[in-house]
Amino acid sequence: MTKSSVVVSGLGVTSAIGQGKREFASALLAGRSHFDVMRRPGRQRPPSVDETGEQSSAFLGAEIADLAMPESIPGSLLRTTSFSARVALATLHEAWHDAKLERVEPERIGLVIGGSNIQQREIVQLHDTYRGREQFLRPTYGISFMDSDLCGLCTDVFGIRGFAYTVGGASASGQVAVLEAAHAVASGRVDVCIAIGALMDLSYWECQGFRSLGAMGSDRYADDPASACRPFDRDRDGFIFGESCAAVVVEKDESAQRSERTPYARLTGWAMEMDANRNPNPSVEGEVAAIKTALDRAGLAAAEIDYINPHGTGSPIGDITELESLRRSRLDHAYLNATKSIIGHGLSAAGAVELVAVLLQMEEGRLHPTRNLVNPIEPSFKWVKDQPVPHRIENALNLSMGFGGVNTAICLQRYF
Amino acid sequence: MNKDEIFQIIVSHTREVLPVLEGHDFKQTDSLKALGANSIDRADIIMLTLETLSLNIPMMVMAKAENMGQLAGIIHDKI
Repeated sequence: MTKSSVVVSGLGVTSAIGQGKREFASALLAGRSHFDVMRRPGRQRPPSVDETGEQSSAFLGAEIADLAMPESIPGSLLRTTSFSARVALATLHEAWHDAKLERVEPERIGLVIGGSNIQQREIVQLHDTYRGREQFLRPTYGISFMDSDLCGLCTDVFGIRGFAYTVGGASASGQVAVLEAAHAVASGRVDVCIAIGALMDLSYWECQGFRSLGAMGSDRYADDPASACRPFDRDRDGFIFGESCAAVVVEKDESAQRSERTPYARLTGWAMEMDANRNPNPSVEGEVAAIKTALDRAGLAAAEIDYINPHGTGSPIGDITELESLRRSRLDHAYLNATKSIIGHGLSAAGAVELVAVLLQMEEGRLHPTRNLVNPIEPSFKWVKDQPVPHRIENALNLSMGFGGVNTAICLQRYF
Repeated sequence: MNKDEIFQIIVSHTREVLPVLEGHDFKQTDSLKALGANSIDRADIIMLTLETLSLNIPMMVMAKAENMGQLAGIIHDKI
């Protein structure tokens, strides 16, 4: 196998368990989570007319407690930016400096932001505020309601002049953004491409929709939020939301020499396969196809993968389907944990955030525990359960799936 | 409400939109554009002012104003 020349040279991450790669890695390895009834304004259904002021929903999730904004980002800009945009700016700031991108020509840098309809809560809040006096709506709403406003903001603040656009792939959006970045670098379109998995800012409408669909838990653990998020456990009852965002800097090996630091890993293989299915149900065939394409592109046999970071949401059908796909792909020998058990499901962000989790575990030489994995639905897999496991990752496989039949896979290889 | 009171409302919203002008000594002859307010900032400042005054007038009417004093005057004439 020849070594891939596409590498990850920088990263940034923001989540409910910490802001910045050090805080994030430390919390991941300790299995520290922050699940609770969500409190951010606009996350719970307002009391209905026949109720007496009591909150009428108690959707669970993990929310970012304090977002620290870099001082270099102008306050006048922040006034009109959404929460998703502020988190993206702060996360990109970390990745930008991590990869020393100030040394790259702005025209040779591209940006792909993963996520669609990511600012729903802010939009609902704004509509509620101005309902009945719409004539006073801030003119800035005319630009800020579009997801592409994040592209405008990020390119403005960091002076990016190559290209910038958003991509949507439901819960695989973050990984689709990484795939697009890898293509852009591999083809020579740009020297550096940043992929951001944007924070999906759910309003109570989306929470209700996910609950009604049976995708979001948790009826079973309504009184015990810390136990609700349990991917691959027999008692799971759906995903639990978690606010998060990640930025991943992709470039060619020779370009990364600029930063005078060893790249995090090589991107050896990647794939996106569709099920030709609009619905939320997953498919073994689609997942197996994505895994096979990514492995073939990487020139790897399944036996060479020693760690898998799965999609693993806690979905009753999704988790079973994913394990069956791994078994059919002859990947049941590799270590397996579930990042979402600690940080929750970031939806549009998940694919990028979990890729960062892979890279940080690779760097640390340890695999993070899986919370609430008391009775695995398939005990024969090589689970990392309630304690971290020392392990030197050589070749990792990272999977994402999204409603509408999206299956993506990425192979990551230790740089040296 | 007199023109000077309206001018002070415009000043207060200008500081809200452009925190960098917090210490600036505003004069009626000041131009929002010259102070660094881009077109979106200027539209926001005017809309915030109209909202404070509960005044529903077309934004286009304000386009003639060349400085903050003239802006206050136009709004005053519509009250």
